[in-house]
Amino acid sequence: MLIEFICNGKKINIDVPADMRVLDLIRDGLGLTGTKCGCSKGECGACTILVDGLPECSCLLLAPKLQGREITTIEALERPGGKLHPIQEAFLEEGAVQCGFCTPGMILSTKALLDVNPSPSVAEIEEGLSGNICRCTGYTKIVKAVQSSALKLQGAEI
Amino acid sequence: MKKQNLSQVGKSVVKVDGRELVTGKAKFSGDFKFPELLHGYACRSKIAAGYIKNIDISQALKIPGVVDVILPKDIPGNNLIGVLPPHDQPILADKEIRYAGESYCIAIATSVKAAKAGAKAVKTAIDPITPILTIDEALAKSARKIHPNGNITISKNLIKGDCEKAFAEADIVLEDTFETSNQEHAYMETEVVCAEPFGDGRVTVHASCQSPFHIRGHIAANLNVPASKVKVVQAYTGGSFGGKDDAATEIGSLAAIAAVKHGKPVMISHEREESIVGSTIRHASRIHYRIAAKKDGTITGKEIKILLDGGAYAAESPFVVMKALIHSAGPYKIDNVKVESTAIYTNKTYCGAFRGFGVPQVTFASESMMDELAKELKMDPLELRRKNALKPGELNATSQIFEESVGIIETIDKVIEINKSYQLPAKEPERYLYGTGFASMYQGISNGAEGIDVVGASVQAMQDGSALVSIGLTELGQGSRTVFAQIAAEVLGLTMDKVIVKHVDTDSVHDSGPTVASRSTTVGGMAVFKAAGEVKKSLLKMAALMFKTEENNIVLKDNFAQLVFDEKAKIPLKDVCVATYWTGFPLMNLSFSKAPEANYDHDNTQGNIYIAYNYGTHMMSIRIDKLTGAVKVLKHVAVHDAGKVVNPKAFEGQVEGASLTGLGLAHLEKIQYKDGVIINPNLSDYAVPTIKDRIPSETISVETYNPTGPYGVKGIGEPPVSGAASSFANAVANATGIRFKKLPITRQDILKAIKK
Repeated sequence: MLIEFICNGKKINIDVPADMRVLDLIRDGLGLTGTKCGCSKGECGACTILVDGLPECSCLLLAPKLQGREITTIEALERPGGKLHPIQEAFLEEGAVQCGFCTPGMILSTKALLDVNPSPSVAEIEEGLSGNICRCTGYTKIVKAVQSSALKLQGAEI
Repeated sequence: MKKQNLSQVGKSVVKVDGRELVTGKAKFSGDFKFPELLHGYACRSKIAAGYIKNIDISQALKIPGVVDVILPKDIPGNNLIGVLPPHDQPILADKEIRYAGESYCIAIATSVKAAKAGAKAVKTAIDPITPILTIDEALAKSARKIHPNGNITISKNLIKGDCEKAFAEADIVLEDTFETSNQEHAYMETEVVCAEPFGDGRVTVHASCQSPFHIRGHIAANLNVPASKVKVVQAYTGGSFGGKDDAATEIGSLAAIAAVKHGKPVMISHEREESIVGSTIRHASRIHYRIAAKKDGTITGKEIKILLDGGAYAAESPFVVMKALIHSAGPYKIDNVKVESTAIYTNKTYCGAFRGFGVPQVTFASESMMDELAKELKMDPLELRRKNALKPGELNATSQIFEESVGIIETIDKVIEINKSYQLPAKEPERYLYGTGFASMYQGISNGAEGIDVVGASVQAMQDGSALVSIGLTELGQGSRTVFAQIAAEVLGLTMDKVIVKHVDTDSVHDSGPTVASRSTTVGGMAVFKAAGEVKKSLLKMAALMFKTEENNIVLKDNFAQLVFDEKAKIPLKDVCVATYWTGFPLMNLSFSKAPEANYDHDNTQGNIYIAYNYGTHMMSIRIDKLTGAVKVLKHVAVHDAGKVVNPKAFEGQVEGASLTGLGLAHLEKIQYKDGVIINPNLSDYAVPTIKDRIPSETISVETYNPTGPYGVKGIGEPPVSGAASSFANAVANATGIRFKKLPITRQDILKAIKK
């Protein structure tokens, strides 16, 4: 079926099978492989994207559901000229990235959290990122990266 | 620690590959696009043991998109995985099924969906037999033999001194039995490979893997071609922790066989369930521990019997048996030690390498016993550890002596100091129990008894003033590419942005052995250090000619060659590199680092095994909710002697990550079997720690200078798993007054025990 949606600011018109997962649409159909598949069951959060600004596991979402909506994937965060998004910078600087497989999802969950809650408490960070599993870091540096992202974003707004 | 004037080594730097990872641009194996790509999906046994009577693929071949179903007979080579003797594991089970989840054929199709449908349409007749599911069943006299040589995979002994006498003369003898459960690696990226055939008869395998040269050999053997016909390219790898050796071999070989047969690229990507049931997990264990001591706390003897449940195939059991054997007595000076370490076959998912490699299991037993002994002696548990801790120049369990870099006492002293100033909270005592636990451990660095340890690395200075490092050890998230870049930058006086560390592919880097045993920084780092040192000689020689002075008047620093006595007199290194090239001095060097070979008596495991040990002491304070059994970790301190730390931030990351894996082992994670079938093969029923389970780890390094590593380095990848798991167990015992003898100690276990 034909669907129309916005992906990373760009209007997409595409014919998709009704049972296609959004994860496969973005990875295979649109070639955006920054979104990862870790479990296909909505358990690990590696495939997190933003749908109308809210984090969703793209492995659980069927492509027709995107009709008329707007999605953001990790590829949208880097700014023109190669400047990293403040959240990306923070993850890098704080050592919140090890193997990096959970990172795109982790960064998008962070963005969704900070978009609605610019200075979250530790408990709120835990809640916001509880759907994203990381096996490498032990999460301590991820929490620091979220806090540092919040400061960077506040600074950027001033 | 010897004073060293260093500009890159010892500085926290960001990961050299971090930018690609945070932008999502890093290409993992599943991210590559190939024209006409085929996909493979395996048929796996649903029962734990049986004889394959018939496999009918006719219906599968009728499914649209299915192009083939590969059976054992289609494998041109030896149909074997096993890294080690006894080489008992087929890629595809031929006549006998030995665990639930074992694959016996694989459908190849134009889409994943079709491949799955094809696999489902394969009709298989398997005559079930009663599976052997426990160590006791496997060791029973009348037990069916899982493999022709019986159910014992391997058994090794360590004998030092006279244990019989020590126990006869002891003031106190304690003994107990401990058990640990299997643990799943649960790296976020499952195992993925893609094989691409070429017209020249070669095949390239892009793989999420840990040891590309190992895999190359096995793929070639299964294709029945020389290794030179195969190129393995390590893609960005989403975690491994020991787990991406055997499984990557299995699917790498199958993809290569199908790719060569059909002349098209073939991808095999494990689903999460396959990654859990069809690839290695940590050995479950049962450890009987006896300890003999004098009244003053001097431990005079240890007698230990280790049984490791290795599942259906040997895989890395022979090495895990050795590692457990060698480490079971702990980081102490004990004159009389007798250990027997045995791996057993059962009809369950096969076990292999997992961060810690047998050490977490034995450390749990050892450190639980240390606390029990302290209790018996009414001694402070840290004092007991300190009293028995190894000092430089003393014989460890294998009678190996290290004159330097034995920092166990420093780690204990640091924890004593921290513990003194820490007050456990006592809020709401009617609701909560509080306790603190300690654990000391050590872990050998290098392959040691597990094989010859050689790394080949090359460094090339380029004419733009940068350096290219190539080495066969893999980046798995741990930050080794960054460490190698730091070492090359240090030697050549470059800033970090001027160093590139190549991705590993077996055509363009030297074989460096497997990326295991916390050896990358030490043995790998030494090879990079040596190669860079040779290149430096050319640059100094050239710069001396350019300055018309002696070489020893020149330093390489901040991308310049400069005069020692006049910092303003400097030539950009890129100009020196250009001149070096035109003068004909070599700008590239390949160097080798070979660890001294393990040299020991194989009957008693006495002699020199490893080139260094990492030592550590952990402290963990917890609060237990008496109503629910829920545990909150209030404080966790991980003190390690890992030699000189190259990248402190990455070091912390290793400690934090490994510690949470240790907590998972000790508290949360449990592979559950029913009739030999794993019933929780997913990430909701198998509890990998989430952000809410994280622990407040404080990482402290007490640096000693290790003479076998460049700049005095050792390694840190694995050791904290043991420290965190064992200190957790001791904290629970301290809080509840109950000694739990089995890991994991779950919330339910605690609740049940305190209700009694």
